[in-house]
Amino acid sequence: MKISTPNCDNCVFTEELGRDFNIRQKSQGLAASIRNFIHPSYKLVEAVKSLSMKIGSGEIVGFLGPNGAGKTTTLKMLSGLLFPSRGKVEVLGYSPFSREREFLSQISLVMGQKQNLWWDLPPVETFEIHRSIYKLDEKDFKERINELIDMLEISDCLETQTRKLSLGQRMRCELAVSLLHRPKVLFLDEPTIGLDILMQKKIRKFLLEYHARFKPTILLTSHYMDDVAALAKRVIVINNGLKIYDGLLSDLSEKMQPEKIITVILNSDTFPKIEIPNVTPVSQEGNLFRLKAPREIVGKLAASLYNTGLTIDLTIEDTPLEDIIGNLFTENSDFLKFRKNL
Amino acid sequence: MFYLKAHAAIFKAYLKIMLTYRGMMLLHMFRVVLMPLVIATAWLSIEKVDSNPYKNSDYLLYYLLVPLVMNLTNSRSVFKFPVSVRDGTLSRELIKPYPPLMSIVIESFSNNLQMLLYLVPFTLICTFLFQSHLDFSFLSFKFFPIFILAVFFGALLRMFISGSIALTGFWLEDVTTLNLLLNGSIWALLGGMIIPVATFPEKIRHIAELLPYRYMLSFPIEIFSGKLTNAAIYKGFSVMLFWTIVFYFTARFIWKRGIKIYSAYGG
Repeated sequence: MKISTPNCDNCVFTEELGRDFNIRQKSQGLAASIRNFIHPSYKLVEAVKSLSMKIGSGEIVGFLGPNGAGKTTTLKMLSGLLFPSRGKVEVLGYSPFSREREFLSQISLVMGQKQNLWWDLPPVETFEIHRSIYKLDEKDFKERINELIDMLEISDCLETQTRKLSLGQRMRCELAVSLLHRPKVLFLDEPTIGLDILMQKKIRKFLLEYHARFKPTILLTSHYMDDVAALAKRVIVINNGLKIYDGLLSDLSEKMQPEKIITVILNSDTFPKIEIPNVTPVSQEGNLFRLKAPREIVGKLAASLYNTGLTIDLTIEDTPLEDIIGNLFTENSDFLKFRKNL
Repeated sequence: MFYLKAHAAIFKAYLKIMLTYRGMMLLHMFRVVLMPLVIATAWLSIEKVDSNPYKNSDYLLYYLLVPLVMNLTNSRSVFKFPVSVRDGTLSRELIKPYPPLMSIVIESFSNNLQMLLYLVPFTLICTFLFQSHLDFSFLSFKFFPIFILAVFFGALLRMFISGSIALTGFWLEDVTTLNLLLNGSIWALLGGMIIPVATFPEKIRHIAELLPYRYMLSFPIEIFSGKLTNAAIYKGFSVMLFWTIVFYFTARFIWKRGIKIYSAYGG
């Protein structure tokens, strides 16, 4: 039964969503084991404390956070695998944990490369089973599978037993089988984990193409910031089961790191005197100098350096995304100040 | 039926997987026939008292059928399900628009069917070799459909009992001991694996007839051998149906409670 959604434009909606786990505790040693046998002790872990978010139809959202932040637990609640301990959750207007056929037919969860593929059979057999489960007609099935085989370049591994495929091949086949029923909502948990750079790029390219064609809503977790930067404009950052940022990735980058890094190679070991305020030296290695300057004066600084006639080469970079996100989770981070201004 | 094509596809998939591992099937076959063979040899070598309703030919027929019926009513869910909870592969089933436990049931069913490839020839060869020691005068083909029905319900009952035990895997790390206790030792004793139920002392036989175990092994064989009156067959089916319903609701209850605490580890 479809439930009434407070905001029908929201494909994914959560309100104060939380999930606790009761984890059994045991100290080291035989005595502790005996004590634990008589009086088992448990610790309540709030994997997700309170998470409210709204994701519109067709959006790609990066879901970021350190290990143990509650990302995967959230994805599992959104896909109906986990029963929430509290709060409200709706996906496509359904309550995920009810696991209604109509709901499950419209979503997909990719979690590693053993989620959907049958390990002892070649991928082509899994596709056929998937067709029967999702009740796809023969014509649609052939059209879709051929399209996915082309886009993911997997024609050479379809008839090899899945367990004998390489990680990259398995991941691409996993994506193919997950997308065969054209889900309206796609939950991707670390889709490029363990893959080499070339394969990561292929997967990103595929996901962008696929999204451009079919416009599914995608919620993506990844530890590779390149994945997030390439795919998602909007990010939701969580830590310790709480949301700490929800907005555009570019805003996060600008607000968290209002400065840029300028690397300049001069034909001299001595840096010329420049009358521009707020420029901070970072390092010097011979005639290679690194400086930090506010975004708004970077252009002026570059021009001044060229005008000295000493500049051989000059590059301007943003702070790597990894560092920006990493800074969010460190104690006394700039983010704490930034949050106050939100 | 709503899921018929999906059931068929999954059934075929399991057949293909099992055909890949032929050696394993052969080992399973030896496991299934070995125990009944040993017990049959023991029963045939001891002297029978007058009060024992079974003659040597009855024991021989009984234990020739034990591997077949035991295999047909077998359920592997108790081994498969707890593993799927522990390693998180249950998640794979939960995310699909398909009954999440059906895959395990179909796997068990296809496994049982494939074992027949080995067990039927084995039984036929043994029957041929020992035909002079067998007494077929009790056999009646009118009991054959009832025998099939008894095997079917016996399988259903065992599936729900094993399923109920398997589903405790939501809480227990290892359900093997619980299974050995409730579905192994007691089943072997009161189900008719070690001693045919009909040869129990009267009081114990009455208890065995009220418990579910007899209906997963001994009852169908007793029907096939023409050892039961119509009244005993009706009574047997009633008890069997009662336990099937009880364990169906038990399994449902455990599932509904367990799925709420499922942690979906192993993603």
